[in-house]
Amino acid sequence: MARTKHKARVAGGEGGAGPTAQPGAAGAAQGAAAAAGQAADGGPSTSGRLPDNLELARTRVVCGPDMNLHTTSTIAATQWASLGVDASFDLDSFRRGFNIDITRYEGDDMEFEMKGVSCALANSLRRIMISEAPTMAIEHVFIVNNTSVIQDEVLAHRLGLIPLKVDPRLFQYKSKEESPSEHNTIVLKLKVECRRLPNGSMENECVYSRDLQWLPLGSEMPDETSCRFASSQEALVPGGVRPVHDDILIAKMRPGQVIELECHCIKGVGDEHAKWSPVATTWYRLMPEVVLLQQPHGDVARALAEQLPGLLALQGTGDAATVTVGDVRKHDKLLEKVRRLSGEEQYKQYIQLRKIKDHFIFTIESTGAWRPHELFNYAVSVMMSKCDKVLEGLQAFPQRSF
Amino acid sequence: MNAPDRQEKFVVPEGIKKVAFKPDTKVANAGSFTSQREDHTVGNLIRMQLHRDRNVVFAGYRIPHPLEYQMVVKVQTNGKKTPIQAVQHSLQDLGDEVNDIRAKFQEQLSQFGGGPGGGMGGPPLPPY
Repeated sequence: MARTKHKARVAGGEGGAGPTAQPGAAGAAQGAAAAAGQAADGGPSTSGRLPDNLELARTRVVCGPDMNLHTTSTIAATQWASLGVDASFDLDSFRRGFNIDITRYEGDDMEFEMKGVSCALANSLRRIMISEAPTMAIEHVFIVNNTSVIQDEVLAHRLGLIPLKVDPRLFQYKSKEESPSEHNTIVLKLKVECRRLPNGSMENECVYSRDLQWLPLGSEMPDETSCRFASSQEALVPGGVRPVHDDILIAKMRPGQVIELECHCIKGVGDEHAKWSPVATTWYRLMPEVVLLQQPHGDVARALAEQLPGLLALQGTGDAATVTVGDVRKHDKLLEKVRRLSGEEQYKQYIQLRKIKDHFIFTIESTGAWRPHELFNYAVSVMMSKCDKVLEGLQAFPQRSF
Repeated sequence: MNAPDRQEKFVVPEGIKKVAFKPDTKVANAGSFTSQREDHTVGNLIRMQLHRDRNVVFAGYRIPHPLEYQMVVKVQTNGKKTPIQAVQHSLQDLGDEVNDIRAKFQEQLSQFGGGPGGGMGGPPLPPY
């Protein structure tokens, strides 16, 4: 209902934006013919065509040797109204311009490219992945005995940061007032004693995360922890609960020292504490672009190709030598050198480093509890539900004008 | 000592409405929306989307205090739409954009074979 009305509004608006009797009318007329089309270089779409310098400022960040130019990416819809260009949002041109490409997916790491989204959207997805996807992590540690040199609280802190390989969907959130039960708590036990063996070597000198044992029947000291399970968790978690990595060093001990404790894990989100963040980290960077402002010849071409091997390919010999730019993605480490060279006297008119404002190379490194693609799907649905929640809240207000 | 409980950052307590709207008394066609328990994640997004609306003259968001978990969006339109309509359209547009992202991602994923090791298999589980 409201949505279909809205689409009609968009279609009507588009038609109105085109013909405007303005100085840039010729350009606008051409633009209107290719209305709501994609800019040739794949930047954000507008209905109309800006002059080249403005188009550069709109779609590219120019990475100068001492500062970056044109970094802003929020543009008002009416910003270039005087030029006859309408930069308002159009769902169809977004759909046409948007593209996702998964470039690498190995185990817990995923890298993909998103073209056609705004920086705010990419950032929001990144924020949601870091702080609003739940996982299970150790929250309460009941220490029975700790005679090691690691203090109780330091030990508890380290235990909290250990990522657990368990699907958080199997558990419910536990509020402070609720008592722990098999639906919201996982109980792990750590009992290690360092001893000197008859042959002189030490046993359990290092305490690793593989020494954590899962207790599917619940706490072994229910009176102290008030944690009573009505049934075993074995049916709930068929694969068992264990840390993602076996070899995380928790503590080091010497003979005679003992660590005996019980850990209760609950479900939480990264917003509350970083231990509940499902990603080691997730980040994006803008797609870089190395541009030859002018074609260098001869010695300059050779010097540049030598400075940037692989990124620039030398062609021809002698005075007719020229360079071509190769695949920028493969030569990450040379990009900062391009930036530096673009500030040097002898190269500054030839080479420039730019970033494409709406092309993001996203990397998700999961800690192991979530698969990266499920995390991205989840972030997308959280974003939708946030928009819906606010929309719902707005329904309460009348639509009148005032 | 005075720091609020971390959970207050995202749990809306009983009785408090998620969104409140206050029309601006001094300027025509303007108003502010206060969203409880929201932060830059949605704020920047709504602001960016509002800017892309032809009829919006002013759009901005702020978080008045980092320890009070609410966000204020101020919108002024040129009269062809009310501020409420502008925000509603922006949110609907965002929903559509995000839906499209999801669909295209799923498509790409199925081409990629659903990720190594497949997804988390097993019976359908309750939502997160």
